[in-house]
Amino acid sequence: MVYTPYDFNESVRHRTEYIEERLRDGSPVAGISFDGGVLLLTLRRTQRKIFEIYDRLMFAGLGNQSDLEIIRVGAIDFAHQEGYARSPDDVTIQRVVGFAISPGIKRAFGDVLNAPFVVRALFAEMGRTPEEDLFYTLNYDGEFVSLNWAAAVAGTPEAEEQMVRQLVPEDADGVPDLQTALRRALRAWAAGRLWAIDAHLEEEGAESLTDERIETFLREQLQDLQVEAAILDRFTKRERKFRLLKEEEIRPVLPGE
Amino acid sequence: MGERLSTNHSGDFMALLRARGLWREPEAVPAGQARAPVQEVHGTTVIALKYRDGVLNVGDRRATAANAIMYDRAEKILPLDDYTLIAIAGSYARAMEIVRYLQHSFKYYARTQLQEMSLEGKLAEVSRALAGNLSMALQGIGMFIPVVSAYDLDRGEGRIFFYDGMGARFESVEFGAAGSGSERIRGVFDYILKTKGPFHEMTLEEALRECLLLLDIAADLDSATAGIEKVLPIARAVTAEGILEITEEQLAEIKKSLKL
Repeated sequence: MVYTPYDFNESVRHRTEYIEERLRDGSPVAGISFDGGVLLLTLRRTQRKIFEIYDRLMFAGLGNQSDLEIIRVGAIDFAHQEGYARSPDDVTIQRVVGFAISPGIKRAFGDVLNAPFVVRALFAEMGRTPEEDLFYTLNYDGEFVSLNWAAAVAGTPEAEEQMVRQLVPEDADGVPDLQTALRRALRAWAAGRLWAIDAHLEEEGAESLTDERIETFLREQLQDLQVEAAILDRFTKRERKFRLLKEEEIRPVLPGE
Repeated sequence: MGERLSTNHSGDFMALLRARGLWREPEAVPAGQARAPVQEVHGTTVIALKYRDGVLNVGDRRATAANAIMYDRAEKILPLDDYTLIAIAGSYARAMEIVRYLQHSFKYYARTQLQEMSLEGKLAEVSRALAGNLSMALQGIGMFIPVVSAYDLDRGEGRIFFYDGMGARFESVEFGAAGSGSERIRGVFDYILKTKGPFHEMTLEEALRECLLLLDIAADLDSATAGIEKVLPIARAVTAEGILEITEEQLAEIKKSLKL
């Protein structure tokens, strides 16, 4: 049997369909800068989803758990060997995502004889100021995008757009504090999830994502799921900047009963 | 990508460095050429004292090479993580490399395994790093002696461990010290214990005062110890809340109150 370019295109199309079908139902992740650091937020059942990679680097994603685990360990390995062999200052998000992780994911996607990664991942790097914070989103085909202030990964690219609208509202003024950042991230999560699973929303338009609709949806979701949120703390004196937020820190921003 | 990562799921940083060819193994001494270690010069004084909230570490800042004073602002008290301090005496270059290794090793374990390395695990890791340094140390180069201070969160108390150059570990009840000056002031520790009571009951100020006094005596008796006259020492403590940095102002305040 001869393997033709047509077969290649066809198989890539099949892979894309296969992966996107599986990603659609994933729990989105929102990332946002605030005055005291960087925040990642998602909702989950039991498995932890937000992970520390290095001193000023964290990561979360949606998709296949074991694929995410491979990316997580790969990023940690690279960050620590570089931090030791050179210096912690040389461990940057663009080196970790751009050179250590993305090429392997791209190779796996292009290799039609092997299983591709079923993931969308969000990396966050804390700078000295919010202006210097960086987010990288990484797609299942190895493509990555860098962003300031806020970023999101969700079941579909359109859902991600809706999330960013919630994370950076038009009437926003200045750098948010942690409370505001948490509130926006939670709304963004709801918007992203709704958009990915409810096909009607596309026709109804973004205006249909009203406060009420988002709150009702969140209340529903919180019956089965719990909020997981982690920060890199800009001002802590501790060696470890990464910290999972406690329940009592998250509770004030949850929709009332 | 997958197969390159499947080798190291134990959180062992040394295994990762070895697999990637980044671990610098000191060369073994050829048979017949090994000789007894030369009398090592560990020119300095570092002190670890228990006090009420944990363990206080104070380190002299002089760095020497034979008779020459090379540097008077060396940092010999370093945090390994939020609950562990290391005080070093001996070969500075080799010590700094191993400190860097240990810092990454603890972080690497915690981040890959999603749990903190136990205190026992950390202490064993220090032993392993020292044992790895042995072939160099036997040739009389790169030998250093660490004192490790840790806050034991399970027991709710500070603990002090000292090592020999081969990696053997001993736990100390009240204090630990290393460096050429420390041998000369051993008796002073016991004198303070017997006249003023145990260190672990002292406040931070009281413990700091004893440390500065001890360092001053060490400087009188040991040329490789600068003492507190010209440059203030480095002082850090490890407590239940993490590492406590003691400021120059705090040290200057206490120095003023001493009758020297």
